[in-house]
Formats: sequence, C-alpha cells, structure tokens
Amino acid sequence: MSVVSGLLSNALVSGAVLALAGLGELLAERVGVLNLGVEGLMALGAMSAVAAVSGTHDPAVGVLAALATGAAAGSLFAFATVVARASQVLCGMALTMGGMGLAATLGRPFAGQPSAATFPVLPIPLLDRLPVLGDALFRQSLPVYVAFLILPLFLHWLLFRTRHGLALRAIGENPAACDAVGMKVLPLRFAYVVLGAAISAGAGAYLTLGFVPSWSDGVTAGRGWIAVALVIFAGYRPWRIVAGALLFGFVGALGYLAQARDWGIPSAFLGMLPYLVTLLFMMLPALTGRGRVAAPAALGVAYYRDQR
Amino acid sequence: MPFLKRRALLAGAAALPFLPRLARAASPLPAVAEKDAVIAFGHIGPVSDGGWSTTHHTGLLAAKKAYPAAKFLEVESIPVSADATRTFRQFVENGANMVFVSSEYGDLLSSVADDAPEVAFLECNGHHVSDNESWYYIQHWKVSYIIGVAAAKMSKSGKMGFVGSFPVPSVFGCANAFLLGARSVRPEATVQVILINSWFDPQAAAQAASALIQNGIDMIYTNLDDGSCLQVAAKAGIKCATWNTDMRAMGPDAYVTSLMLDWTQFYVDQIGARLAGRWAGDGHTLLPVGHGVDRDAWGRTVPPEVAAQADAVRTRIIGGWNPIQGEIRDATGKVRVPKGGSLDDIACYEWNWPVEGVVGLKAV
Repeated sequence: MSVVSGLLSNALVSGAVLALAGLGELLAERVGVLNLGVEGLMALGAMSAVAAVSGTHDPAVGVLAALATGAAAGSLFAFATVVARASQVLCGMALTMGGMGLAATLGRPFAGQPSAATFPVLPIPLLDRLPVLGDALFRQSLPVYVAFLILPLFLHWLLFRTRHGLALRAIGENPAACDAVGMKVLPLRFAYVVLGAAISAGAGAYLTLGFVPSWSDGVTAGRGWIAVALVIFAGYRPWRIVAGALLFGFVGALGYLAQARDWGIPSAFLGMLPYLVTLLFMMLPALTGRGRVAAPAALGVAYYRDQR
Repeated sequence: MPFLKRRALLAGAAALPFLPRLARAASPLPAVAEKDAVIAFGHIGPVSDGGWSTTHHTGLLAAKKAYPAAKFLEVESIPVSADATRTFRQFVENGANMVFVSSEYGDLLSSVADDAPEVAFLECNGHHVSDNESWYYIQHWKVSYIIGVAAAKMSKSGKMGFVGSFPVPSVFGCANAFLLGARSVRPEATVQVILINSWFDPQAAAQAASALIQNGIDMIYTNLDDGSCLQVAAKAGIKCATWNTDMRAMGPDAYVTSLMLDWTQFYVDQIGARLAGRWAGDGHTLLPVGHGVDRDAWGRTVPPEVAAQADAVRTRIIGGWNPIQGEIRDATGKVRVPKGGSLDDIACYEWNWPVEGVVGLKAV
C-alpha cells in the first residue's frame, strides 16, 4: 500500500465514525431538536453491538442491536424533549452521561475483549483495481460506503428533493406554521429524533465492529461531541458533514504519518491540527458569502401548540 | 473523560533533575487491628479497562482475600484535577488508614497526606515522599529490554515502531530500553515513536499503528492501555508486543508478549506492614523483574530459539545484571553514558532523553 493510498484509507476509516454520528445528529437538528446525547448514543451502540455479536458472531445482528438500542434511548430523549418539552440541552447531557455510564456498566463482561465478529472488507469489483485510489476507496467495509456515499446521498435526496423533506425542514424552521397547515409536528419530530439517534448509535457499532474491534469504557473518546460540532459547522448539509468528517480524518491521519516519517513536528501540535483545519475549512463558505446556512430557526425550541 | 491521564504530570516533573533525598528514617505509623483497618484505593481509569487499572484492581482483590476483616474502599476514574483532592479527602474522612493511588497525582495527593499524618499514602509512579507518603513503580525498562531482544530477532526489516502516550519518562524508558535490547542482537535496529497524547484512545492508537505499518515498520511495541495496536498488527500480518495484561486473544499470531504487571504481592505486603505497625513513609519501591513486572508467556509465533535467547537475558537480569550499559549516545549523537558506565534504576525511572536510534522523541 502506497503512502497516499494508506493516508486516504486511514482518513476514510476514522472519518466514517464522525460521518455516521453527524448524519444521525443532522436528522434531529433539521426537525428542530438539538441532541447533545450523541456521545452517549455512540457508547450504547458500540457496547450493544459487541454484546450482540458475542452470541451470534454476525455483524449484521450487531448493527441491528445498536440501531435498536439507539432507537430506544432516542425514544426516551424524544419523549422528554418533544412530548414533555424539557430542556433539550440538559436532556442531551443526561443522555450522554447516562448512556456512557449504562454502557460501561452493562459492557463489563465484554470489556477489553476482541469483538466476536467484524465487518468484512467488501471490495467493489473493477474499481478496487484502480491504482492508488482503488486500495483506499474501494476496499472498505460496508459501513464506510454507507457513511460516505449511500447515507448522505439518501439524506440529501430526502431533505432537499422530496416534499416530505421540505416538511421536515419547515418543522425545524417554523413549527407553528407547519401545524397551521395540518402537518403533524410532534409525531414527525419524535420520529426523526428517534431515527437520528439510531443512526448515531450505528456509528458506535461501526466503531467496535470495524474501526477498533473491541469494547472498553471510553472507547468513543469524545468523537460524539466532534460530530455535534461538525453538523453545526457544516451548515446542516449532509454532503458537507461527510466532507468535514473526511477532512478531519485526513488531517488526523496526516498527523500520524508526520510522526511515522519523523517530520519533527511536536505530537501535541499535530493532535490539534484536525480541529484547526476543519474549523478553517468550515468557515470558508460563510466568509465567502456563498452557501451561507443559518441554523434551523426553531432549533432547540420546544413547540407548544397553545402558545402559537 | 480525563484529558490528562496517569503520569501526564510527569512531563513537567521530569524537567527537574531528580534530587536524591538524604537518608532519614521516618518512624513507622502505629499498628492497626485488621477488623478496624480501612484501605482505600483510587484508580486513574475504569477497573474494566482490561489494562492498567485492571491490574491494580486484581492486586486489590488479592489483598481483600488476604485481609478479609479489613474494609476496602475503591474509586475508579479519578481525574487529575481538584476532584482528586476531594476524593482523597473523603477517603481520610471515611477512616482510611492507608491510601493507594494508581497514578501520579502530585500535590493533589500530598496536600491531603500532609493534613493526615496518621494515614499512609502510596502513589504509583509518584515522586513526592514525606513521613507518611511513599511512591512505587516497576522496573519496566528491563522487561522492555528483554522484549527488544526478541522483537529484533523477529523483525524482518529491523525497522520497529513504538506507540506511546506523552513524552514522559515511562515512554522514554520503554522505547529506549526496547531499542537497546534490540541493538544488543541487531546493531542497525531503529525504533520510530508515535505519541497519541492519551493513555487510552483506541481510535488514535489504531491510526498510529496503521501509519507505522504503512511506512514499513513490521514490529510494534506499545505501552498504551488497550490492545488496538495488536489488532491492527494482526490485520496487517506483522507482530506486536503490548503492556499491562495478556492480550493475545486480540491477535494470537501477531502477539509477541506483553509487559505484565502484578501488584498482588506488593499490596499484600504493604497492607500487612501497615497493620503490624511496621509501615514507614519517606521511601520508594521499584518492583524488579519477576516480582511485580515480567514478560508474558511468549506468543505462539515466537520461534523457540528467539524465546530462549530473550529468556537468557531475562535470567541474567533477574540475577542482578543491569542491561542499561554504556556506551549510550542520545539521539543527537552525544555520549550520555560512557563506556563501562551504566544507568541506575532511578536514572532509568527518570529517563527523559531518547537514545540514538529512537526516532520521534525529543529530549525534555
């Protein structure tokens, strides 16, 4: 594997965690709910995936377990924030802390053990023979293709090319108006928060069945928070989220390459670089004035029909 | 999520030259009846980490068995912050006679120790001592030397890698001794170091290991808490040696060995001394090879003759031979240890410069 190909491959493998978690968060935020529980959802997904494969040895079962756990935890969060209208920030924090604690407790029997099953490499025929790029881009596991191609493609189509997507975005902007024209604001919010939570938990499954095939307490290492930040920086657009995730992964991989080749840059500086470069790149659209995207107007605001 | 993990503070402390204390015997603390004894333990990480904190927890479980009437307190994942002081104070308020902490907390611990002269404090990888405080650690560099001998014999290219956390003495000592062991059998061997700025971040560790492998390294040694480097090595078909516990399940064919920690005897002895009224502070312990630290049983792909050669070195070390012998040059080519000289245990414990052949670490 050449250096460039290795760099790209590492960027994809590590960026996929952020891409998946970020795309899940995008769904919740687009319908107006700020979910700060991504880190907790990832931990729950990561743990339940490992627990599920320990009995079945099938990564698909692990993914389903993670999605189901994420949906269950997401339902709890959605009930608190959408139905009971509690503070989204506080409930999100609670979901993060509760999720991490629960995952640590339930995951004890599996901690520090290799995962019983992992995602197999799925080479794309013909394309995987391309020089340099073939190895890096087309010899990955299924979740990487989902994270960088299938899911953003689908979400972009859903949000920006369908009437249903228009309704979802409208609910994030002005739920009162949507309610007035007969859209079901609360059920739709609830459904998409739950769906988003399931996808974010799926990022955890990819983490422990693909990227680092082992569960331990703290394996998510704060990446859930980066995913939340990425959604905001990316202007709530699916393609920009995956581009940001790829960039973050790429600069991170470049930092390790710099150490492996001894370019003499201090490791602490290299550790900071992904954050700095991603920040700068994400600022570009805003600075150039093109494609400026504000947050959904009703983001973080609970909807009360009687105060319309 | 503690950002600074164990020994991180050492980066600062290591900048100071180690000052040997004047020999001054502290008087022992009074005896405690076993049924009245309260033993407290503060962990830097979760005891389920399968690595560092698990080994301390295992030691503590053995102590519980040895002193069934005593009461044990255990707190996990104590961050290196004011929270630590609060936790240690709570230990004292709960009647602790003896407090162990599994990482260097520095002033966060000694400020509590100074206010509780009747309580014994033991700090792992610490520096501060007083009448009621001591520190303890392991002679990890000697085991790293043994692992280096086997690694150099098994590496095809002689280009080896090390994945560590921060530029602290534990990392310098490990990488340096690993290289010196390797060069004792293969003079052209090199060690490329990558630091990931954390003791536990499997995602970063996996990326670091991948980057090393893609740059032609075929043997990795790591002192991080988890086994992700070994998993990456197994996938890439190269070899890896780890730290803390037996991790061969993560990659049986890639596994060379592990630097195994065993605190059991030390904890049982220290608690026994405290109960009997023989425990005095103002000291330090560096557990030797075979008594607290050792190599694990060799992996199944380690050739028997390689294992035998490395074990011969191990036997000499257990017999009292110091493997860290001059002449040793640092990475800039300056002679640091002249021919015929050696680095003693304290100097190795405080190691803060890379030896010639260790690439990627800068002297602090």
